[in-house]
Amino acid sequence: MSDIIRRDPRAEWIVRNRLHPLHLSLVKSQQGDVRGPSGLLRKNVRDVGFIGPNGIKRIDRANLLTVDTTTRRSASKDTQTARPLHVVEQADFYIMVVADMVGGRLTAHDKDLLGQAHRLVVQYSDVNSQCCGAVALVCFGQIKDDQLGLSGVDRLFHLEDTVYDGFSPEARLGALQQIESQYQPLHWLFPDSVHGGADLACRFSARIGERLAAHVWQLDREQCLSRGASGSMDIKRATPRIVTLLEECADPIEDTQHQALPMVLEPMAVPSARLKEKGQMAVDASAVPLAEAEFILSAGNGIHNWAQFHATATALGATEGASRVAVDEGFMPRARQVGASGTWVTARVYVAVGISGAIQHMQGIGQCDKVIAINTDAGCDMVKRADLAVIADSDALLMALASLVEQHQLAKHAEQIHGENSNAA
Amino acid sequence: MMLDWLPPTLIGVLLVLAGVGAIRRINLWRAGQAEEVAILAGLMAMPTRYLHDLHHVVDRDKYISRTHVATGGGFVLAMALIVLVHVFGVNNTLLAWALMAALVMMFCGALFVFKRRLNPPSRLSKGPWMRLPKSLLTFSVTFFVLTLPAAGILPDGTGRWVFTLVLSALILLSLSEVLLGMTWGGPMKHAFAGALHLAFHRRSERFGGGRSTGLKPVLFSDNDAVNKVHGVAKPSDFKWNQLLGFDACVQCGRCEAVCPAFAAGQPLNPKKLIQDMVVGFAGGSDAQYAGSPYPDGKGGVQEVGYAKGGADQIITDGLIHPDTLWSCTTCRACVEECPMMIEHVDAIVDMRRFLTLEKGDTPNKGAQVLENIIATDNPNGHSPESRTYWAADQNLALMKDVKKAEVLFWVSDGAFDMRSQRILRAFVTLLKAAKVDVAILGDEERDSGDVARRLGDDATFQSLAKRNLATLSQYRFSTLVTTDPHAFHCLKNEYGDFGSTALDGVEVLHHTTFLNRLVKEGRLRLDTFKGGKVTYHDPCYLGRYNGEYEAPRELLASLGIDIAEMERSAFRSRCCGGGGGAPITDIPGERRIADMRMEDVVSTGAEMVAVGCQQCTAMLEGVVEPRPVVKDIAEILVGQLVEEVH
Amino acid sequence: MQPNVNVVSLVSIGRHPQSGRARRAEQDGRAVELGLKLVQDKLTLLHAGNAHETVLRQYAGMGLDGFTVLPQGEGDDAVPVLVAYFKANRQHHSRQIVLTGVNAESGESSGMLPYLLAEQLGWPIVPRIADIVRVDEFEAEVLLALPRGQRRVVTVSLPFIASVDSAAQEPRQSAFARGLRATLTTLDYGSRVDDAVSHWQVAPAKPKPKRLKVVKAKTAADRMKAATAKPVGGGGKVLRNESVEEQAQAIFDLLLEEKVIR
Repeated sequence: MSDIIRRDPRAEWIVRNRLHPLHLSLVKSQQGDVRGPSGLLRKNVRDVGFIGPNGIKRIDRANLLTVDTTTRRSASKDTQTARPLHVVEQADFYIMVVADMVGGRLTAHDKDLLGQAHRLVVQYSDVNSQCCGAVALVCFGQIKDDQLGLSGVDRLFHLEDTVYDGFSPEARLGALQQIESQYQPLHWLFPDSVHGGADLACRFSARIGERLAAHVWQLDREQCLSRGASGSMDIKRATPRIVTLLEECADPIEDTQHQALPMVLEPMAVPSARLKEKGQMAVDASAVPLAEAEFILSAGNGIHNWAQFHATATALGATEGASRVAVDEGFMPRARQVGASGTWVTARVYVAVGISGAIQHMQGIGQCDKVIAINTDAGCDMVKRADLAVIADSDALLMALASLVEQHQLAKHAEQIHGENSNAA
Repeated sequence: MMLDWLPPTLIGVLLVLAGVGAIRRINLWRAGQAEEVAILAGLMAMPTRYLHDLHHVVDRDKYISRTHVATGGGFVLAMALIVLVHVFGVNNTLLAWALMAALVMMFCGALFVFKRRLNPPSRLSKGPWMRLPKSLLTFSVTFFVLTLPAAGILPDGTGRWVFTLVLSALILLSLSEVLLGMTWGGPMKHAFAGALHLAFHRRSERFGGGRSTGLKPVLFSDNDAVNKVHGVAKPSDFKWNQLLGFDACVQCGRCEAVCPAFAAGQPLNPKKLIQDMVVGFAGGSDAQYAGSPYPDGKGGVQEVGYAKGGADQIITDGLIHPDTLWSCTTCRACVEECPMMIEHVDAIVDMRRFLTLEKGDTPNKGAQVLENIIATDNPNGHSPESRTYWAADQNLALMKDVKKAEVLFWVSDGAFDMRSQRILRAFVTLLKAAKVDVAILGDEERDSGDVARRLGDDATFQSLAKRNLATLSQYRFSTLVTTDPHAFHCLKNEYGDFGSTALDGVEVLHHTTFLNRLVKEGRLRLDTFKGGKVTYHDPCYLGRYNGEYEAPRELLASLGIDIAEMERSAFRSRCCGGGGGAPITDIPGERRIADMRMEDVVSTGAEMVAVGCQQCTAMLEGVVEPRPVVKDIAEILVGQLVEEVH
Repeated sequence: MQPNVNVVSLVSIGRHPQSGRARRAEQDGRAVELGLKLVQDKLTLLHAGNAHETVLRQYAGMGLDGFTVLPQGEGDDAVPVLVAYFKANRQHHSRQIVLTGVNAESGESSGMLPYLLAEQLGWPIVPRIADIVRVDEFEAEVLLALPRGQRRVVTVSLPFIASVDSAAQEPRQSAFARGLRATLTTLDYGSRVDDAVSHWQVAPAKPKPKRLKVVKAKTAADRMKAATAKPVGGGGKVLRNESVEEQAQAIFDLLLEEKVIR
């Protein structure tokens, strides 16, 4: 959206038409502020609403009929300006949030942590109202998120250097130590994630010799509740300085915006790396163990064209599964069997192609979130269980699906190239 | 030139050589482990065991049983008389006539053996076995001629030395087969080893109409046992009388004909397995084997001649591929059918024990299932606290609360499977309708240990058995009923080895037996069944393992059902493929056993197949539709139950 | 290739998620499996805790003749003993690899142990590895497990500690009799009670509340609509007579919405 001021012919027409129910309000709004004799801003309390079609005055509280001023701006700008700015003039203490920043963007987990950090700041301020704290985000590498302030970042430690690229826990640990010695934050919050958050937290805790609380899911100024013994126990203890937090520990910031002021670090010596990254290896999605797969395309008796099924699974990036019959017939290896006598899967999305749904199979997919059925029999159990069922021949449907994915990929690829070109420009 | 001394000398020398061979053979068996056997009582009982038990099995094929009586009986009689007449020179015309009569009988039998060998079915071994009828005929003719002078038909000294020489050559030929072959490893070996095998059988309870089907436990308790190999790694790890049993095989291939795994093209042939065991303890290779080889699981066969073994060589290193052992469904069809009463299943499980306990090499999902059983007491790793979820709406008394009940319902692991739960609910409904004082163990129940034991993990089986027995011993009940024939078999036949009194005086019953009693007592009012044609599938662990063929049939008959019996039913019932952990180890074959069984069902034209086992239900229902409906007998009964109106 | 290194798999007592019973821990089992892959039965199996725990024999049953236990009490801190053990061991073996699981299945399961060991021994730690590809004189090449089956190649200098991720090769079956025969060696390096634990209150886990979809409504009318609207997707949609293209599009849209297609 651009900032170009546009004409609104309809509004102009209403202003001209004195009989239009919105005429008065529109004229008023275009007149601008009315100031009283003393220079105070005045508001005409009777000047609300409009006369409805049957002559009765109506007040449109839901703003259903409101027309904006003659100018319209982009929607995002509007919501942005709608949020009040939370300003921290001088921070007396800091709560550090070390973000995962997967792909240069805050993850939902990171945002939850920022929300948690602000709750801590509020709790500390309640105790000592003179004190004023700031939530500082520590992030490494390139940032693609340009709205960090909207997620609740008061201060930003942005460490952008080649030493922090990719897998570099030792360099990152060095930076955290530097922040620690320079700012002595009140708390360090890390996401308890596989993206490096938990690893960095453990390194940091071991380095500065302070015990952390791991897998915390409830946290306040004094106490925290952490999951222990592979999620089977809750441990309540005094909140330590270093905490790794589970997802959804607190609500993310949604009502305020923050300054996201960049902070500077004194130059530091980068430790020599004993771990050296040699790059990433591409791994086949279909090799992912069935029990851990997030997205499964599963084949049953209704599949006739197996080559096409495999091709579709590859195109979708889905892990392949199979019903017992398909395995018995020898079309799929036993390790791919889903169901009570095969693997109990936990996929978020399960697409069952040509599987009518024997009771043992349904048991195996009990924990799946979304089930999509593709079947020719509308009365089968799988269709009854499915969130979305399609009554069609699997061959034609898989072909259509594969071509859709292909188009999608092409479009995305084109966009990427375009993006890179414009960046270069 | 008189050569009269030649035939007796030849016979004598060959007898001595046979004796040497016998000692040598006995020493081969003695390489096995010690096992307590009542030697004298066994030898005394041997003739009865032969004439009654063995003949009973052979007699299922009238042709061969009569042939065998003639040939075998004639030979034994003839051999005894030959020793008297020709070796010791007892000059008695009567004896000579008797000998000639025996030889004629044997000749007639041998003719029928010869006839069968003209176009032998594929289950029969060829090779030296093709030669046997000819040798038998030669034997009877030769000695018949040799005895003619003694009987006074021909004068002494008839013929010249050429004639005697020819006769001596024939004696050498035929006696080599029947005497030397007996102890040095020819087809006639079955007579010698078979007789001793009957005398020293490891399961003497099987004779005289008894039944012995429970597996023998592995010893873990004493310290010596810890350092010994568990299960059978080498042929010498078998008990000596097991080795003797292998030697008794006649290679008739009846086991091969009934083996579901062999029919499905899985790499198992019970006959070849037993012959491989013989190769194992006698040393050498299987090049001499002339029967059907193991299938290769892909529609072809494994080539014979490459398997090598020795008494102290690991069996699964070169003699037998582990897949052969894991193909077995432990259905006992081979044991039931074996005329020599060889225990194939015992041997297979013994070798599986080595693979699981010592090598940790249970194939496919075996390892995972065992780990689940160890950690959660059920094969699928469900929470032990969820064992009673199925009964949430059943209002069943828990033993924990009531302490005593008339009947304890052993629920088994079907509690975790939604299909099996339908059977459980049906049975509970019937129990309630009959107002039976019943209770369940609830979460205190554990897996019976059946799967663990058949997969070779006897440690886990024993641990489960002991804990289950400890639980059972806390409560008082007179009858234990279960819907699962596998649990039924364990509880009834295998839990007795652990020195617990928990099941003393308790009648362990399968639900079909129990329901049959209720129906007979008039405690269940049932409508006539008006559905279509029904057939009944005998579960192996109910039928062959426990001999219960009648109760399910009587129950169905009480509903007015005239069972359309399958060709293979009752003790010849074909396995569903679900036993012995076979669905878990999942050895690939050409076809599926369940599909073959369903074909049996379809060929009767039945619209419904009644079953008495949740495992069979699951396997048969796994056959792709359209197929007949599969229902447990309890489910069929519930459908016909007349609810009393109050 | 059998590298001349001393590989130690540090194991703990696992906990079955369903029954809560002691078992071979998932990741620790993988650490043993990886160790066996590297040096076969020369692997050192080490546990700090109760020497008479039968689960240890399940680890040994994977193919080891013996295992070593540093006896510890229930609430003892394993770190100082293990540090003492490895410091003593350093005199015999200059090149060591220590493999552990990522998190223990019992106790605090913070996953700190390998980090504390690494810090106090001055060794590098590689987190969440899936495999060790190569070990030579001075360094090893390892594969790090990333989410969704991705792998990252990292080289690390010897000696080092690595925590083994669930993406590593599954542990082989444990042979009961082999474990039964395994010899137990106990080494006494003292013990120290973990004081902090006494201040904790431990309770069975409460179910975590699921986050509801919050409707950001600016007006009363919107809030009313949100509160009374029927929840979407309750019954499940069935597409019967649409064209194949439309049906495929519907599936595709759902997959996009669920973010499984990227």
